[in-house]
Amino acid sequence: MEKLIEQLKAQIIEALNFEDMTPADIDTDAPLFGEGLGLDSIDALELIMLMDREYGIKLSDPKAGKAIFQSVRTMAEYIQANRTK
Amino acid sequence: MQVIHDIEITTTSVLLDGKTIAVEQTGDKLLVELYRRYVGDYPKFFKMDTLSRLGFIAAELLLKSQEPMANSQQPTVDAVILANRSASIKNDTDYLATITEGNYYPSPALFVYTLPNIVTGEIAIWHHIQGETSFYILNSPEELKPIVASTLTAKHSTALVGWCECSKQDNFYAKMQLIWRN
Repeated sequence: MEKLIEQLKAQIIEALNFEDMTPADIDTDAPLFGEGLGLDSIDALELIMLMDREYGIKLSDPKAGKAIFQSVRTMAEYIQANRTK
Repeated sequence: MQVIHDIEITTTSVLLDGKTIAVEQTGDKLLVELYRRYVGDYPKFFKMDTLSRLGFIAAELLLKSQEPMANSQQPTVDAVILANRSASIKNDTDYLATITEGNYYPSPALFVYTLPNIVTGEIAIWHHIQGETSFYILNSPEELKPIVASTLTAKHSTALVGWCECSKQDNFYAKMQLIWRN
């Protein structure tokens, strides 16, 4: 799981163009939206694309997104349980 | 119209009020260098396309050139009026590359910059400008002058105006001014 979390942080930095940031700067349990990383709705779409592109996960239930994108850890847990590649 | 400040940014140089600002980088890296030197605390800059980065940095330098005044006297910017010839073609091309056959992962982050007027919005958001913003596709900067004159009708109003062009990666040019209608 820790390896997946680190990989996911690097992918988030690349996908969202956080040029000044390293994986160590992202708190695994901090909120992704609002506080914490302060992501917006466009970033949410990028994260959905990332999960499809990198892990073969298609999110069909928009309501599930709130729980999945709570933090990097919740994202990683969802990916580990549902990845197809 | 009175020009308060003017700036010219090319891929290799920056000229503010006729004086050269020394830079080490070229192309898009030049814009990042200026961002780190003059802004530094707005990570959204890195999500912008090159056109928006160019206009954002040009506006920042123009407005930073203002002499500090008492708050009640500080002139507010009433309008942002920009133009270019190539619209958002550079970012449009980048976005198209994400939806080509065999690579169908359209990027939302690129899609939101597939309109050239986004740059005026980025400037307005950062500087809390609540007046008119507009972006025109024109053949030459000369064509913008009558548009500015007809838009900025109120006396004693201030505007960011000019040419903001980016046709390819590392191929851009901005010539912008902070003007005052006296």
